[in-house]
Amino acid sequence: MSDKKRKATELHSAARLYARECEEGKLSRREFLTRATALGVAAPAAYGLLGLTAPAARADTPQMGGTLRIQMDVRAQRDPRTWDWSELANACRGWLEYLVQYNRDGTITPVLLEDWEANEDATEYTLMVRQGVTWNNGDALTAEHIRHNFERWCDASVEGNSMASRLGALMEDGQLRDDAVEVVDDHTVRLHLSSPDVTIIANLADYPAAVVHPEFSGDPIRDPIGTGPYRPVSYETGIRAVVERNPDHTWWNEGNGAWIDRVEFIDLGTDPAAWVASAEGGEIDMLYETTGDFIDIFTAIGMVETEAVTSATLAVRFNQDSEPYDNRNVRRALQMAVNNAEVLELGYNDRGIAGENHHVCPIHPEYAELPPIEMDREAAVAMLEAEGHGDTEFELISSDETFHADTCDNIAAQIRAAGISIRRTILPGATFWNDWLTYPFSATSWAMRPLGVQVLNLAYRSGEAWNESAFSNAEFDELLAEANGIADADERRVVMERLQLIMQEEGLVILPYWRSLYRHARPNVHNAEMHPTFEVHFQNYWMS
Amino acid sequence: MLLFLIRRTGVMIVTALCLTFVVFYLTNLPAKLETLAKTQAGTRISDAEVVTWLDRNGYGQPMLVRYGEWLGVMPGWTREVSDEVMDGRCYRAYDLREPGSAPTRCGLFQGYWGESTRFRATVAEVIPTRLGATGLLMMWALIVMVPMALVVGVAAGMREGSRTDRSLSTFAIASTATPEYVSGVVFIALLASSTAGLSPLLAQWGWIDGPVLFQGNARSALEKITFWNFTLPVLTIALYGMGYIARITRASMTEVMTQQYIRTARLKGVSFANIVLRHALRNALIAPFTVIMLQIPWLLTGVVIVEVLFSYPGFGWTLFEAAVNNDIELLLAASVVAVIVVLLTQLISDIGYVYLNPRIRVT
Repeated sequence: MSDKKRKATELHSAARLYARECEEGKLSRREFLTRATALGVAAPAAYGLLGLTAPAARADTPQMGGTLRIQMDVRAQRDPRTWDWSELANACRGWLEYLVQYNRDGTITPVLLEDWEANEDATEYTLMVRQGVTWNNGDALTAEHIRHNFERWCDASVEGNSMASRLGALMEDGQLRDDAVEVVDDHTVRLHLSSPDVTIIANLADYPAAVVHPEFSGDPIRDPIGTGPYRPVSYETGIRAVVERNPDHTWWNEGNGAWIDRVEFIDLGTDPAAWVASAEGGEIDMLYETTGDFIDIFTAIGMVETEAVTSATLAVRFNQDSEPYDNRNVRRALQMAVNNAEVLELGYNDRGIAGENHHVCPIHPEYAELPPIEMDREAAVAMLEAEGHGDTEFELISSDETFHADTCDNIAAQIRAAGISIRRTILPGATFWNDWLTYPFSATSWAMRPLGVQVLNLAYRSGEAWNESAFSNAEFDELLAEANGIADADERRVVMERLQLIMQEEGLVILPYWRSLYRHARPNVHNAEMHPTFEVHFQNYWMS
Repeated sequence: MLLFLIRRTGVMIVTALCLTFVVFYLTNLPAKLETLAKTQAGTRISDAEVVTWLDRNGYGQPMLVRYGEWLGVMPGWTREVSDEVMDGRCYRAYDLREPGSAPTRCGLFQGYWGESTRFRATVAEVIPTRLGATGLLMMWALIVMVPMALVVGVAAGMREGSRTDRSLSTFAIASTATPEYVSGVVFIALLASSTAGLSPLLAQWGWIDGPVLFQGNARSALEKITFWNFTLPVLTIALYGMGYIARITRASMTEVMTQQYIRTARLKGVSFANIVLRHALRNALIAPFTVIMLQIPWLLTGVVIVEVLFSYPGFGWTLFEAAVNNDIELLLAASVVAVIVVLLTQLISDIGYVYLNPRIRVT
């Protein structure tokens, strides 16, 4: 698959973009280096992009031992395929492993697989299951076990089974299609897809895709059969979860990780001020994520900040089933009244990169660069008046989460500055998500996904369950289906360009920015940089 | 006396029934059940999935029937999964699968308090541990608060209008007027931050070893309570309640000090200290005693803020978590506990009153 096989010497396209911005003075050199290395560009190469030589680096050898205390929500556990928060996955990551893993640099590497191959039109995948992997109950991992997991993932009758929505090409009538997963031999599985799908490998890296044993009952804590090097010690929802290295199990990757003896996930509630207090008292070593003003505060108390550039965003979308957003010109006019760079600066502290009102991020391998979007308040007002909406009062709804509210406040302020009347409604998080699909004009946060086509499949294809903008466009659907069948990212980019343009022309969303994510850890915690999909790979961390 | 106790217990049961019904009604509104389904089965599940989830988990029946189930007067819901596996309220309660193996009714009357959906444990496990944690916090708060309040109140009330009275009264009013969520934050900023307040200064002078004077987060007190991690939450609660009790004590003390018998004692040449300690104090303590007793249930709600602020998982914290996550059975049990605590402390205060004031009789 092309996304994996990007060579180390080959530079990420976004890195070049950053280098240009740096030369133009839009980005500081330090910021450029952080972002470029976050994209997987090796530090010397990043310096090279600016025409500089890298300072000599010091190599460190990992040390064994230590207890790592991580602040993280400890949520009530349930069956991995129904996980809806990455915290749930992180707590079990020590023993439940994945077929493949998504890395900080945008690549996907095999874990319980040795390798995989796709055919020309992305309809058939051959998965080579890793040899010599044992479960912690002594069984060897076989291709049959992998087939069993596909069966579980494809069972749509289980409420909240989000894997089913990711593996549609393997399913029939809400179950795994009989001939979809072929066990070739003990360590080879072949997937036969009903339609081309390039996202399938990336979907297997997603956090609900944890591989479980055939005897797994549904509770990963009570029944911790897994292949990983750790095991659970205790799990108290809302309070604490503890895992320790499993002394009775030989991990397949022995010697290449699992340095830390014991990991404690401590749930300190949702107020970051409590996290600061705890960090100051020396009771936590690392945070799951730091946001907003607290990023600078944690840096000030001596913790080390790491950044991950992601395609996570806040989509301020219009629902085209509701008046007056069924009118394309109204949507376009509202978009035009908003300057995305300003939203990024005031609504999200400039922690990310400005968006272009389409849902494909520069870090996606198939991202196509489009001409910059224009902002024109007068034209926006003129357009609304032409459509008879000059005096209409619009309403922008958001949840009360800080950055949602701040971003929407700024968007509303800009629209108001253009002379358009708009009202802001802030709903508490608990009630907001009950109706997130049907609000006429509201903001939804979208998580990072490794490939550009993935969110388009989930949120913008006609009739999809999460199609919150009620967008239905035959040309878009057709092109998207085509893009889904092109395994090579460079070839896919050609189709992607048209898809991105349609999204802009149709005025689908105000997509103000791509969020960078941050995490802080004490200086003695190593390898614990922020991960774009919030994964805590503590088997690779070590402490000095 | 016995009749009085019986009547009080009756009142307690009726209050608990009414309160739990109100809580049950509010937590079972359709929108609340939808939230529950979404927190349990997945934040972004569809409406159809919400309905099937609610049906499968016994939330599909009328509200009154389910209230009866919780009480244990109505048979618990059951659902046949296959010929060999049954699911249902009572099957889950006792972790059974075989059809017919579970009792028909399982509720409060059978001693089953239900299951906490937030903590994935039985309510009977959650409540006692959390209540124990809060008990410790309240005990320390009372130990700090009561003597301090009485000393301040008595000292202020000895000589009404004196300089001591004015300054102590100002302190007492200021402490009552500062809510916990203000004083708690002020304490953290002042004493538990390595960049602001006293700690950087003390650390610079080498007076403290760590970066902060006190720990601004009481999570570690769950394992071991130390002066370092428990001072701030205890102080926050104690200070708020202290001012109020001190004001009541002062009012009661000033009133006693104007009584005829105090004047008589003075005229007879009894020393001032003796008058205060031997003649005035006992009479002056009647009113504060009731207030201290009433303070306990009040503390129980006050700890919600403090426990959440200092992330100390006690009863208040549990109540907060249960409310946020619409954890129906945990909220019901918490309200029963609250009713019991309120009425029990009132009972103690009524009985104690009789001993302190011979003019009052329980009938």
